[in-house]
Amino acid sequence: MTDIVRGSEDISCVSAATNAVSTGAVSVANGANNTTSLLPQEKSLVKLTHIQKSYGNVCVLQSISLHINAGEVVAIIGPSGSGKSTLLRCATLLETFQSGTLAYGDLVVAKNDAHGHAIYAPKSVLKEAKSRFGLVFQSFNLFPHCSVLHNVTDAAIRVQKRNRDEVMTQAHALLAKMGLSGKEKMVPCELSGGQQQRVAIARALALNPSILFFDEPTSALDPELTRDVLKVIRDLAAENMTMAIVTHEMSFARDVADRIIFMEAGVIVEQGTASELINNPQHMRTKTFLSHYA
Amino acid sequence: MDLTLILAMLGEGFLVSLQIFILTLLGSLPLGLLVAFGRMSRIKPLSWLVQIYISIMRGTPLMLQLMVVYYLPYFGFGISISDNYRFIATIIAFVINYAAYFAEIYRSGIQSIPHGQYEAAGVLGYSRSQTFIFIVFLQVVKRILPAVTNEVITLVKDTSLSFVLSVPEMFTTAKAIAAAQKSMIAFAVAGVFYYVFNAIVAFIMNRVEKIMDYYHD
Ligand SMILES: Nc1ncnc2c1ncn2[C@@H]1O[C@H](COP(=O)(O)OP(=O)(O)OP(=O)(O)O)[C@@H](O)[C@H]1O
Ligand SMILES: [Mg+2]
Repeated sequence: MTDIVRGSEDISCVSAATNAVSTGAVSVANGANNTTSLLPQEKSLVKLTHIQKSYGNVCVLQSISLHINAGEVVAIIGPSGSGKSTLLRCATLLETFQSGTLAYGDLVVAKNDAHGHAIYAPKSVLKEAKSRFGLVFQSFNLFPHCSVLHNVTDAAIRVQKRNRDEVMTQAHALLAKMGLSGKEKMVPCELSGGQQQRVAIARALALNPSILFFDEPTSALDPELTRDVLKVIRDLAAENMTMAIVTHEMSFARDVADRIIFMEAGVIVEQGTASELINNPQHMRTKTFLSHYA
Repeated sequence: MDLTLILAMLGEGFLVSLQIFILTLLGSLPLGLLVAFGRMSRIKPLSWLVQIYISIMRGTPLMLQLMVVYYLPYFGFGISISDNYRFIATIIAFVINYAAYFAEIYRSGIQSIPHGQYEAAGVLGYSRSQTFIFIVFLQVVKRILPAVTNEVITLVKDTSLSFVLSVPEMFTTAKAIAAAQKSMIAFAVAGVFYYVFNAIVAFIMNRVEKIMDYYHD
């Protein structure tokens, strides 16, 4: 395989994109606590610009633009099938998109060629990009045969080739922060779902990412177990960790997010500060969606 | 001929059977993994070739495969075969036969690993080979152990098929003794040998399964 992956041509997506409501991050925000998105674009930790993604003929993302600034917490909401997971999967290189630009800081992961096809950077660049973000899955995806400590430390040691003692010290501190001290030697199946998800968060943090993505981190959990996971995310937000969180927990999104993005049918319909978007949605579709959570 | 002598002769044959058993496992377990990769390869012609190989190995008698491997150099290519080729041909036939079976077991194990494991590893920056070696393989081993145990137990019994090439393993020896003595005793003793050997194999595999029981998913 060559180092360059070329997205396949897709006409349906291109035509649909012209109708897209999406305007990108910089266009909103006059809310009081949303000053971050007014910062110059260069400060963005991650820049997704005009992303188009389709599966076969089905266009799933239609010219989505999303720039996330350092220290910002972005919540992504929207009905099932609107493309929220796909957006995170494109940002975390689990999926390739056909058109658009993706950059982590100064590191350009993919950009369009003259024909508007996304061209991905060589593997070495992709590998470096992977050290800049972390992803927490709905289903945890811990390595079941490895101890908690091994889950948290292995990638830092094996992939990032960092000093073992330093990684161990960091891992113990992270696990303590997650309320998991004393569980280092256990294997995931001995933990509750909420504990497993917190191990997964520690595992992602151990690589010192500049941004952490969450795809419905509490959807697989019983209500009483979600609380601890949400608390951990709140704590991270208080420490100015940059995060993008796909969630159905509306009150959590309102509390923790600096900006809420409402997606539907592969476009960003509306975005704004938490209070703006939830208390005063501008679009009919946003109102309809939010009414289900009233 | 007294029982001690029978035991001594069969014991000697057993050592040959044991050699076939061990060499077959040492060859076919790694080869099977390679074959499984070939079978799952995205290079279609390679995958097809490997599928044909697997279907032939599973669809024809091992005894016939032993004969073909032994006689092919002579009848196929006119190469004269030396006497110690008997043992080599036996090992070759067993290895390529069992590799086909192990390949299918590996494949089912590899394909049963949830996709999320690969995705988690990918996001953490593991390369494809690192993902397989450090994350997927041990989980595969746990999942395929029962199926592997079955094959290994079958292999213990299958070593007796090498009598068709007159390799002096335990069954060949037992047959010779029985013919000379006009008695079933040698067969009975050989049966006990096979049975005890398999009991040991089952015990060991059971221990390995217990060790892997430290987690479940
Ligand atoms: N691998 C795939 N192949 C084909 N279509 C897919 C694939 N993955 C997702 N889709 C389609 O893409 C669309 C967006 O899916 P996505 O999972 O991103 O939605 P979502 O917003 O995360 O929904 P949910 O809230 O249910 O998780 C859906 O219509 C889905 O059917
Ligand atoms: Mg989803």
